[in-house]
Amino acid sequence: MTNRRILLRCVAAVVALSLSGPVVSQATEPTRVVATFSILGDMAERIGGKHLAITTLVGPGGDAHVYQPTPAAARAVSEAEVLIVNGLEFEGWLDRLINASDFNGMRVVATEGVEPIAFEDDKDEHTEIKHHDDHGDEHAEDEHHDSHGDEHAHRHDGAFDPHAWMNLGNAIMYVDNITAALAQANPDNTATFYENRDAYVAEIQSLDAEIQKLMSGLPESRRTVVTSHDAFQYFGRNYGLTFLAPQGLSTDSEASAQDVARLIEQMRVESISAVFVENIADSRLLQQIANETGATIGGTLYPGALSGPDGSAPTYLDMMRHNATTLAQALGS
Amino acid sequence: MIWESVVQPFYDFSFMRRALLGCIAISVGATPIGVFLMLRRMSLTGDAMAHAILPGAAVGYLVAGLSLGAMTIGGLIAGIAVALLSGFVTRVTALREDTSLASFYLISLALGVLIVSTRGSNVDLMHVLFGTVLALDDTALILLCSITSLSVLTLATLFRPLVLECVDPQFLRSVSRLSAVTHFTFLVLVVLNLVGGFHALGTLMVVGIIILPAAAARFWLASIGGLIVAAISLAMLSSLIGLLLSYHYSLPSGPAIILVAGLAYGMSLLFGPLGGLVWQALSRQHFESRKVDLP
Amino acid sequence: MSTAIAFKNLTLGYDRHPAVHHLQVEIDEGSLTAIVGPNGAGKSTLLKGVIGALTPLEGRVAFGGLSRDNIAYLPQQSDIDRTFPISVVDLVAMGLWREIGAFGWLGRARRARVNAAIAAVGLTGFEPRPIGSLSGGQMQRALFARLLLQDAQLVLLDEPFTAIDSRTMADLINVVCRWHVDGRTVLAVLHDHEMVRAHFPRTLMLARELVAHGPTEQVLTAENQFRARQMCEACAGPPHVCGRSVA
Repeated sequence: MTNRRILLRCVAAVVALSLSGPVVSQATEPTRVVATFSILGDMAERIGGKHLAITTLVGPGGDAHVYQPTPAAARAVSEAEVLIVNGLEFEGWLDRLINASDFNGMRVVATEGVEPIAFEDDKDEHTEIKHHDDHGDEHAEDEHHDSHGDEHAHRHDGAFDPHAWMNLGNAIMYVDNITAALAQANPDNTATFYENRDAYVAEIQSLDAEIQKLMSGLPESRRTVVTSHDAFQYFGRNYGLTFLAPQGLSTDSEASAQDVARLIEQMRVESISAVFVENIADSRLLQQIANETGATIGGTLYPGALSGPDGSAPTYLDMMRHNATTLAQALGS
Repeated sequence: MIWESVVQPFYDFSFMRRALLGCIAISVGATPIGVFLMLRRMSLTGDAMAHAILPGAAVGYLVAGLSLGAMTIGGLIAGIAVALLSGFVTRVTALREDTSLASFYLISLALGVLIVSTRGSNVDLMHVLFGTVLALDDTALILLCSITSLSVLTLATLFRPLVLECVDPQFLRSVSRLSAVTHFTFLVLVVLNLVGGFHALGTLMVVGIIILPAAAARFWLASIGGLIVAAISLAMLSSLIGLLLSYHYSLPSGPAIILVAGLAYGMSLLFGPLGGLVWQALSRQHFESRKVDLP
Repeated sequence: MSTAIAFKNLTLGYDRHPAVHHLQVEIDEGSLTAIVGPNGAGKSTLLKGVIGALTPLEGRVAFGGLSRDNIAYLPQQSDIDRTFPISVVDLVAMGLWREIGAFGWLGRARRARVNAAIAAVGLTGFEPRPIGSLSGGQMQRALFARLLLQDAQLVLLDEPFTAIDSRTMADLINVVCRWHVDGRTVLAVLHDHEMVRAHFPRTLMLARELVAHGPTEQVLTAENQFRARQMCEACAGPPHVCGRSVA
């Protein structure tokens, strides 16, 4: 062979290798995934494991309602190949962040396909309970509901309650959506992803059954819970509990004396003995209500974020299990 | 009927009684401070202070987590530092009170935001720190009542020097050494009332109760003692009416109280005999010119 | 005659620029002295030096046996807040600070003295009025009433009669003369040479440095005034360090 031909072949080989480089690196480099909050991050971790490089924007203990994106977040989003969001307008700050960060990867909405609870439905829930009300003042009740509705509308821009992950059945939909997206972004590991997905879903289903059993053991008269973050509608519907809140969904909006008075009345009438503080919102109002009705603070619930790795809710499944057992314990006692 | 609408709510619910007690405490303690703030043209101090306390609260949070006690104490320290520094600068340089306070509170706020950001967590510190009138636990009530007692005692003691410090500081400085002490004690009282109030009742309520009754009273009375009494009465009345409105018509409590106070201010602005707009517009017969006997 | 105040090589100024330069003068006790001079002559500055509002750049002010507390001062422009809701009687009563301090009780006897002081300046009937409703002349009367109550041995007045009506001026001059009769030392910065000639036995003419000090008819001469103006104009131009200054 002439020198020139050897040279040509070498060049061809180099070119071929460099062209296949991206394909090779795509298989070995972890996919850059950004999850908006800790629950989504945890799910992605379960499905993709070491094949993903996951960045979570609102970390454990954080409050996605009041999150302020940082430059580091914008950077992470612009470099992301997959962006996992909850949807149902949970992340009010998301659109601005995406515009600012020049994101051009794949966006997956975890709640795609989930049947959402509209805020109107929440109002109806309250109407059912309030029939027990001693005052029997229909007019005032309507005003009360209106104010609740206004608070909901004020806080969340959308018409639907976004906390869909509180129903384990919906969680399976979340996992499916995430798996599909990851498979599309990282096709080489599709099989692994779906294996992990199956194992995860099995765990979810068994936990769901466990919780159903736990909750059905509670007496009918002991199924009403008071907590300051009204994010438990999906949980309540799925497991037969009713959740009441003094302030509605928002951690910003202020309570009216009438709301508080009615809640106290309610609790006195129905002998609700447990009140729950959640890990993000202010607990002083709840403490006040608890003091006045003689109820006890039943423990910490986690509605919208995981705890740190040392806490009692380091993963999504742990969180759901913790919430369920805490509720059952307080209500059952 | 009266019993049902006015007294019954307080009879039935402990939180209503506490709310009323808290309002009375803040009316008695903080409103006189507000009268002096208004007369010294420092009415915007409340809002500035709400921002200035951030680094203190942030450090409290860094040290002790979401502990209300630590954050309130931190906020208090930050607030006092800002108030005293700006008071000092006002006395010693050409800058007036409004500029010196603005400069320091802005620096403080920026520092606070920096500290909060480095921690990385997204907890809205200020929201956690600020309370609401419907959730006055024992700690908050004790805090409010203590601050009120302290304020009343201090104001009664330092009343004369304080008045003179407002009217003719030059004269006070020439006859007494109490000028600096009075000025700085007043500033500390302002911060105490504001920060304690934020902790217990939230910003809107405290700043509103401090300023609106004082502003309204200005249209009715012309003596400093009268202003204070009128302002306290207006504040207590607004609190009572606001709480009842919140109870009967499901309005958020803090804003309801402040709006009632605002209504009182609006009415005073229009109809108050001392310079109210309606009185100004009416053409009134002026008095006979009095003959003063000169020696 | 003993000395009430002695200015010993006194230099007072702002930002190293002297407004009063190497003044060496003694003021007798019980004297009624007018301080005159062209604009910028350092007259107000001198009074500020006496009450201690300015630290001397050089030299000092010595008091003959008088404690610093025994001085009453009426500044040229007071920064009194006219909008403050205080009545005339309360403002005037502040003159009794030295007696009652921050916490002392006013009492009936003292209240009578306050009313007497108000009467002495011709403001009877104005007691309950807020100070914001007073005219310039009335305000000045009220401030004189306060000075009366201060009962000080040394009274310093900085342009007390500027921009007030002649009736008020006449009444207040009477108060000043009464102080003189009482044996108090009075120093007044004035512009009106007619008034000085009419009521003030002694005059100190200042043009940063001493021009003349002594009986009024000897000091208030045309040549002294001319010299004073010249001395003041000479002070324009770039500054250099004073040769007489003690390094």
